[in-house]
Amino acid sequence: MSAQNVRDAVIIGGNRIPFARAHSAYATAGNQDMLTSTLNGLVARFGLQGQQLGTVAAGAVMKHSKNFNLTRESVLGTPLDPKTPAFDVQMACATGMEAIGSLANKIKLGQIDSAIGGGVDSISDAPIVVTDELRGILMEANRAKTLSQRLKALSKIRPGHLAPQAPGVNEPRTGLSMGEHMAITAHAWGITRAEQDELALASHKNLAAAYDRGFFDDLVTPFKGLSRDNNMRADSTLEKLGKLSPAFGRDLGEDATMTAANSTALTDGASAVLLGSEEWADAHDLPKLANFIDYEEGAVDFVDGAEGLLMAPAYAAARMLKRNNLSFEDFEYLEIHEAFASTVLAQIKAWESEEFCKNKLGLDASLGTIDRSRLNVNGSSLAAGHPFAATGGRIVASLAKELHGKPGKLGFISVCAAGGQGITAIIEGR
Amino acid sequence: MATRIEMPQLSALYGQAALGAARAKLPGLRSTPATSELPQESLVVRHPGVSLEQAERYRRLFSGEPFDGAHRTALPSVLVHIIGFPVQMALMSREDFPLPLMGLVHLANRVEHLRPITLAQPVQVLVSAENLRAHRRGTQVDIRVMVLEDSADPESLEEHAVLWRGVSTYLSRGIHVVEETAPQAADSTRQEFVPPVKTASWRLSAGTGRSYAAVSGDYNPIHVSNLAAKALGMPAAIVHGMYSAGRMLEGREPEGAGHRWSIDFAAPVALPATVAFAAEHVDAQQLRFTGWNPRKSRLHFSGELRLG
Repeated sequence: MSAQNVRDAVIIGGNRIPFARAHSAYATAGNQDMLTSTLNGLVARFGLQGQQLGTVAAGAVMKHSKNFNLTRESVLGTPLDPKTPAFDVQMACATGMEAIGSLANKIKLGQIDSAIGGGVDSISDAPIVVTDELRGILMEANRAKTLSQRLKALSKIRPGHLAPQAPGVNEPRTGLSMGEHMAITAHAWGITRAEQDELALASHKNLAAAYDRGFFDDLVTPFKGLSRDNNMRADSTLEKLGKLSPAFGRDLGEDATMTAANSTALTDGASAVLLGSEEWADAHDLPKLANFIDYEEGAVDFVDGAEGLLMAPAYAAARMLKRNNLSFEDFEYLEIHEAFASTVLAQIKAWESEEFCKNKLGLDASLGTIDRSRLNVNGSSLAAGHPFAATGGRIVASLAKELHGKPGKLGFISVCAAGGQGITAIIEGR
Repeated sequence: MATRIEMPQLSALYGQAALGAARAKLPGLRSTPATSELPQESLVVRHPGVSLEQAERYRRLFSGEPFDGAHRTALPSVLVHIIGFPVQMALMSREDFPLPLMGLVHLANRVEHLRPITLAQPVQVLVSAENLRAHRRGTQVDIRVMVLEDSADPESLEEHAVLWRGVSTYLSRGIHVVEETAPQAADSTRQEFVPPVKTASWRLSAGTGRSYAAVSGDYNPIHVSNLAAKALGMPAAIVHGMYSAGRMLEGREPEGAGHRWSIDFAAPVALPATVAFAAEHVDAQQLRFTGWNPRKSRLHFSGELRLG
């Protein structure tokens, strides 16, 4: 498939813990606990005890400063050979995809033979910090050489400085939350409430069906009493979803379409994917689900609204498909991360739009049509939840499994991220 | 004629203004301005230049990029305004200035930022008053500010010595010192405000006025004290108009200057507040800005930036 003169990077398998709504089952588990447990599950599933892997890369979007070496510390907590190196990655919600994609490249180049890529996030154990003012004063006191200098610095502390600061959920340069940004994009693309609710419902139904037929049996390991994602509502209906009031874009009045149900819930969780060269997989008698073909990062100029915050994958996909001489009709399955139902729908509309593809993507025609029956066939983030950095690993492992036994069939991945960024990827069944 | 003075202290000027305002309320001691003429003379001061510390405090207020001395050394326009502001105040607090300083409302600001002014660059500030005219709610005046090269001669000014030119328009509410000549066109053409698509949301804490005051030195009580603001007819302390201007321009002004911008203030922003903000590209050279109250759909300000 790949035109590059490099060896294949094989997706061997994955593991994740069930995703839990924030402040529920994993309220007392930190990022390191969840990542270590997820790695342990992967090690156990593929018999990696005592093995020295090429590299482990993972990350968290919401990370305590004490977890400066989160992935390495997690690796040290597993039965992997402690000589296995590790590094942290952070690219907002595309963290997991970036970790996996960069590891696949190392394998393709022959730098390493095996790797684990993944991610973890906890909203329930998010880092709470002191105010900038208090930190400034404490640092000044720390630098003071005499007691009187120190007291002088500390005397500047005011009650208002003491309020704890939760991590911001807003884009730093616009002050708008991701949902508010998405509401603007959704409105610009004319995406309806009904379309979004249908997509949300399909996500829950597909995820529930996948659990019921045992699809996740070798992809998910129970954790803290959970064996399924606790955000999943298998019994949801369009009527129920239709009753919810808008949660974002309320200033659009009647045109507000985004609710708590067609937007992803804040979630805790972790995921990991095992990658290797063909030789390494064979030598260890491991399955070869799919090849990681290619991936592309993208970013858009969203600050003054020139493009929607979550539209970067539209641009990344165009470059990636062109490079691989593909259109959307060439894909057996598509996994478009459901940050919001409207994110998926806006990306699809963009790719199907001749005008957008010509004017914004510089193409001659649209990128093809997207067959909805091939989209997010085992559910996506609206149902499973979206622990930011863990989403990439969830998608890659599920899609690789779905493509296993269908050699040559292609899967497409799109993950949007904060800061106007995003990643798209191609994997191929084997 | 330009009178050279030392850089005025804003705190002293506000104290004097407050005293004047209190005195004006006492019967028999009314110090109503005897004049309806603007002072003809202008004031000029030397300024040693903005320190790195002040510039860094300014940029932290707006979460801007650092003044690293390599990629950013030119001062933002609003920081240049801050240099000249005490001189404006000194002119407006003179005995022969026809409008009382306390309670003046900032209506608009127009700036031509002709050449870059860098950190620690000594400059001169030349300030004069003009266009005393009627407003439907009182009297308005333009205060003209020119920031000049340190070596410039304010008495025979050469065009190339002007680095920055600004006009601040103020309104004195309820004071009618000039006859209204014709009904103001703006009144009849007032339209309902239709907000554009927002591109940002500013969450302004109750302390935003104090934060801008700490950077600018402008501790006008209407911006830092709810009590004082209420006494002056505001629901709470209001944000400095130039805070909105600074935030609207942050990251959008060219380092090499040569740009023009303006801001027109409508309803004041009572703190704390959420201001919806839109930056729209009119064309490659021009941006239009709007700030409004998203709950009441009420315009706070509109602005413009023209590059080159």
